[in-house]
Amino acid sequence: MSTTQSNAPTPEKGKTSVLRLDRICLKFGDKRVLNGIDLSVVEGEVVVLIGASGSGKTSLLRCINLLNTPTSGSIVIDDEVLFHRQADGKNGTPIPNQEVNRIRSKTGMVFQQFNLFPHMTALENVMEGPVIVKKEPKEQARQTALKLLDLMGLAQHVEKYPRQLSGGQQQRVAIARAMAMQPKVMLFDEPTSALDPELVGEVMKAMVELAKSGMTMVIVTHELGFAFEVADRVVFLDQGLVAEQGPPSKVLLHPEHPRLKSFVGRFHESADLLRPFLEARQAEKAC
Amino acid sequence: MFDYTVITNNIGLLWQGLLMTLYFTVITIGAGLVLGLFVGLIQLSTFRPLVLLGQAYVEFFRNIPLLVTLLWVYYAFPIFAGINVTKFWAGFIGLSCYVASFYAEILRAGVQSVDPGQTDAATAIGMSYGQRMRRIILPQAFRKMIPPLAGQSIIQMKNTTLLSMITVPDLLYQASYISSFTYRPMEVYTAVGVIFLIILIPLTLLSRKLEKSGASAK
Ligand SMILES: Nc1ncnc2c1ncn2[C@@H]1O[C@H](COP(=O)(O)OP(=O)(O)O)[C@@H](O)[C@H]1O
Ligand SMILES: [Mg+2]
Repeated sequence: MSTTQSNAPTPEKGKTSVLRLDRICLKFGDKRVLNGIDLSVVEGEVVVLIGASGSGKTSLLRCINLLNTPTSGSIVIDDEVLFHRQADGKNGTPIPNQEVNRIRSKTGMVFQQFNLFPHMTALENVMEGPVIVKKEPKEQARQTALKLLDLMGLAQHVEKYPRQLSGGQQQRVAIARAMAMQPKVMLFDEPTSALDPELVGEVMKAMVELAKSGMTMVIVTHELGFAFEVADRVVFLDQGLVAEQGPPSKVLLHPEHPRLKSFVGRFHESADLLRPFLEARQAEKAC
Repeated sequence: MFDYTVITNNIGLLWQGLLMTLYFTVITIGAGLVLGLFVGLIQLSTFRPLVLLGQAYVEFFRNIPLLVTLLWVYYAFPIFAGINVTKFWAGFIGLSCYVASFYAEILRAGVQSVDPGQTDAATAIGMSYGQRMRRIILPQAFRKMIPPLAGQSIIQMKNTTLLSMITVPDLLYQASYISSFTYRPMEVYTAVGVIFLIILIPLTLLSRKLEKSGASAK
């Protein structure tokens, strides 16, 4: 496996970069959580972030839409600067709140705990962003929302409140809610970790469909099999730094970094048996 | 022994007193809600001086006995400020400021009890601070706030009896006036107690019911 291949984004996908992070640093008090992360995601690319618990995956994802404000670094989404601050603390371009809200709505986020609005039905949850933030006419937003919920396999449940839905259904509503803002990139923070095992599959299936439709995605997950299946690139975070990255066949099957080796160890063992099969599959995908 | 005629003969005075009590209950709860909402939101802002100002307000009015506040506004404040304050205004200001401090705390606690994930989700779809508050946070917080708001408002009605100390002719003031010339305090004060029970017991039951329905809505 050559290293040049491992570092280049998959060539057949679009070349426009949708998301660019430059030297993102984040501290909570004295605790350094991110130590200069560079990450560029091109249109249609699916990036999976892996790493041990506490390595900064959630923090990084929350920096992308400024739910966490980085200490320094810069964030560009769809060619618009969302954040820029030099390491010396000087704020190169202060960006007004209104602009921040507008640019951040080009990202859609799906949370581990779903975070649906409990006082609204599934349909109202999905319509909220377009109607309140984008000021779309209600009827138009309703049609779009119904389509999205249908796509998520929830046509039967549009009038239900979150508490009447299973975890898997709630998470799919949450995906539809984020998609309703027509984001350029979707961010997923361990979207299946809070689910009962039998519900994990339906959410993964919905995400695979999204990926197939060409959506740009950044996904934090511990499901390495799923990562292998869906990722164009796997990024391994360690102590707030990108320690290794590349195509799944490289990072998950032939890891180099010692901590990545032990991290994927168990997957690796079972993958050893499957390797011929997995590699054939990867080759198929590349054609 | 128990002479009902004392009450029936003076029913007009008691009625006037009751109206005064209800009037002050309603207007001070109204003003208190507006002021309390304001102070509560100030405490929830991210601007430190405002937060401290809100906290100072709450601690000030919560920790001074209401009777002292009323007497101070009526007797001391006019001397400080060099203006004339009628007993009605003194009663209105004292009671409103007092209850506002409790309402503000209820609001703050209610908003802070909403899962921070709700703010994250609302922010992530691009909502501004105002949109988040109005559409997502306050509707959820208000649901939890209804029982304590109802409780505090019931206490407020009882607290209006302190108005008699600054000679506002509320129910209790009329009662002491009636007993001063009939010499029948037993009948008169019993009647006052019964009137409060008749009004407040249904309200208490209602707030219990709201509490239950609020709990099941969660
Ligand atoms: N709001 C916060 N305040 C202080 N420390 C935090 C906060 N959020 C995360 N951290 C710390 O940052 C580190 C990285 O956390 P996180 O990004 O959640 O990691 P991961 O998602 O990879 O498990 C952890 O050590 C965590 O304790
Ligand atoms: Mg995490």
